[in-house]
Amino acid sequence: MKRKDMLGLRGLSREEIVEVLDTAKNFRQVFSRRVKKVPTLRGRTVVMAFFENSTRTKTSFSLAAKRLSADTLSFSASTSATRKGETLMDTARNLDAMQPDAIVIRHPATGAAHLLARHFPWAVINAGDGINEHPSQALLDMLTMRDHLGTLEGKRVAIVGDVYHSRVARSNIYGLKTMGAEVVVAGPGTMCPDSMADLGVEVRHTIDDVVEDSDVVMMLRVQRERLGRAMMPSVREYARYYGLDMARLERARPEVLVMHPGPINRGVEMTPEVADGPRSVIMEQVTNGVAVRMALMFLLLGGSTGAGGGER
Amino acid sequence: MRLLRGGQVCCPSSGRFGPADVLLDGDRIAAVGSFDAPPDAEVIDCAGAVIAPGFVDLASELGDPGEPWREGLEHGSHVAAAGGFTTVVISPRTVPPLDEPSRVADIISRARQAPAARVLVAGALTVDLKGEALAEMGMLVEAGCEALGDGGESIADLQVLRRSLEYAAKMPVPVFLRPGVPVLEERGTMHEGLVSTRIGLRGIPAAAEEIGVAQVVALVARTRSPVHLTHVTTARAIRQVAAAVAEGLPVTASIPARHLLLTDGYLETSGYDTAGRLLPPLRSEADRAAACQAVSEGILMVGADHVPWTQVEKELEFSYARCGAVGLESAFSAALTALGELKTVVEAMSVRPAAVLGREARVAAGRVADLVVLDPEVTAEVSATRRSRGVNEPLAGRALRGAVRACVVGGEVVA
Repeated sequence: MKRKDMLGLRGLSREEIVEVLDTAKNFRQVFSRRVKKVPTLRGRTVVMAFFENSTRTKTSFSLAAKRLSADTLSFSASTSATRKGETLMDTARNLDAMQPDAIVIRHPATGAAHLLARHFPWAVINAGDGINEHPSQALLDMLTMRDHLGTLEGKRVAIVGDVYHSRVARSNIYGLKTMGAEVVVAGPGTMCPDSMADLGVEVRHTIDDVVEDSDVVMMLRVQRERLGRAMMPSVREYARYYGLDMARLERARPEVLVMHPGPINRGVEMTPEVADGPRSVIMEQVTNGVAVRMALMFLLLGGSTGAGGGER
Repeated sequence: MRLLRGGQVCCPSSGRFGPADVLLDGDRIAAVGSFDAPPDAEVIDCAGAVIAPGFVDLASELGDPGEPWREGLEHGSHVAAAGGFTTVVISPRTVPPLDEPSRVADIISRARQAPAARVLVAGALTVDLKGEALAEMGMLVEAGCEALGDGGESIADLQVLRRSLEYAAKMPVPVFLRPGVPVLEERGTMHEGLVSTRIGLRGIPAAAEEIGVAQVVALVARTRSPVHLTHVTTARAIRQVAAAVAEGLPVTASIPARHLLLTDGYLETSGYDTAGRLLPPLRSEADRAAACQAVSEGILMVGADHVPWTQVEKELEFSYARCGAVGLESAFSAALTALGELKTVVEAMSVRPAAVLGREARVAAGRVADLVVLDPEVTAEVSATRRSRGVNEPLAGRALRGAVRACVVGGEVVA
């Protein structure tokens, strides 16, 4: 991969996406070994900078770095100097003085990863910026889909929920469109305005309009803690029109894949029977997350195949 | 005496366009045309250049008092002159705001000593620019304020807006408002549209400005208070202003020059450059085109909207950066590049904004010699080394048409 950074799937080519997915698939073989580690990034330093709460993404990136034998350093906003008023750029200048090789950043502001990428020589991996993008999530979603569907070309993927304010949705839309899939989105007008069609997706307003003819139904998390004012009347009403339950799932194609970026609000986005049922591939998404993040770090830092990595 | 020799005069007020020399005597214009100049006059060569009435800006910030590192009044006066502005009205949005007569008196006494461009002071319409209680407008005007307004802040409470217009209508100075609806703007960071959807920034709907204009127009129809809208940037808002003007209401409006060149696409191509974080935000291409048309038709005038910030306020995540961009030094070339015709630019940047202040911008004998000497055919890159202390210039690096060769204020060559 000839990129310094992984900021988003907007603008990424089909070849680059395939390269990440194929590399991730190879790394996944390591997971079934007794020693789940390769020496590829030995001696390299990866910083995990999380300015927003995250358990699963941070754990996944940390484990991915460790399985590549990189040294990791992690800090979160609550423990770092940002609480003392230091700016992101100042924090980054200090990190820079310690010669890291890559930084994985999650941040509540759109473009935070881009700001660092523009000013510093190390690789920046965007682990979620504001409502913009979450590329590693979309790549792991696409790997999971490809495992089951064989290809993404011509497949129909439904994304349901607060699509407009979702970085998971945005990255999936860009990646899936590039890979030749059809994307249909559904949600209330406040979360899924008709202008989403500008991104080349179909826009619908109830889950029943999308569940029947899709190969994949991806349910987005309702981020109750982050919803703006007047976004929806109630959780009860949301679940009624946008929740996935067994009755709706029975109208779907028998081989449909049910996905969710986690953590699930059981009983809101989907009922427990659906989340834990046979069509759910949610745990596979988690496993693939580690593989995809290994692939990203490897491709940005290592470049060449084989152990050792080498200098950038 | 000074002689501006060999140039073309562009004076829409007097209808004089064409070759003419301009003789200055003290702070006044002594003669325009062809005449026998006194042999001892200091000659300023204007060959190939155009002499026009100096530009007037109605809504710039210089960070003075309170934040002198942003520009400062004296330095800002030089920055303005470098951009061809002979008069700037500074916004009351300072730290603390210019809402207190005794505090205003101090800045006004400094403004009267400004070293280059004239600096006039706008006083606040409401206390602390909060839109809740009326500022002591009478005493602010008595202290020397030449306009009243709340700077870039929009008044959300319609009762306060109504009362402030009614009260200010009896003042001998114009009222400046930025039309907007704060609750529709509060979480947004750019124009809401295709680009905001694509690049994942929360949008500010055009409706925020359009509802703001509608509110003001409806209240002006009732109060008949003259109002100048400092930031009108969407096609629909422009149509509303045009309709109000056609109805005979005392409403005028301006647009920042950069909005005539840049669109919301800038934020995508620049990778979230915080110099492009503005309020009102850069608009769509359709809005931009409508604005250029409106300037040519005389509906909008053009301002600098100079809001300098340093690295401290701008080297941040996009949504955390302060709103605003520098503009005094690039406004003329941005406007000329966008509009193409020099006469249109001089009307939009000199004649009509001067009229808002109750003045006449005219190159004629007997008038105060506030003039700008322009090179309209020169193409130059907006330089990274500007005089302004602000780092936030979204036009930086662009090749624009037109340059300021000299600026004359009260007969003195100040840039």
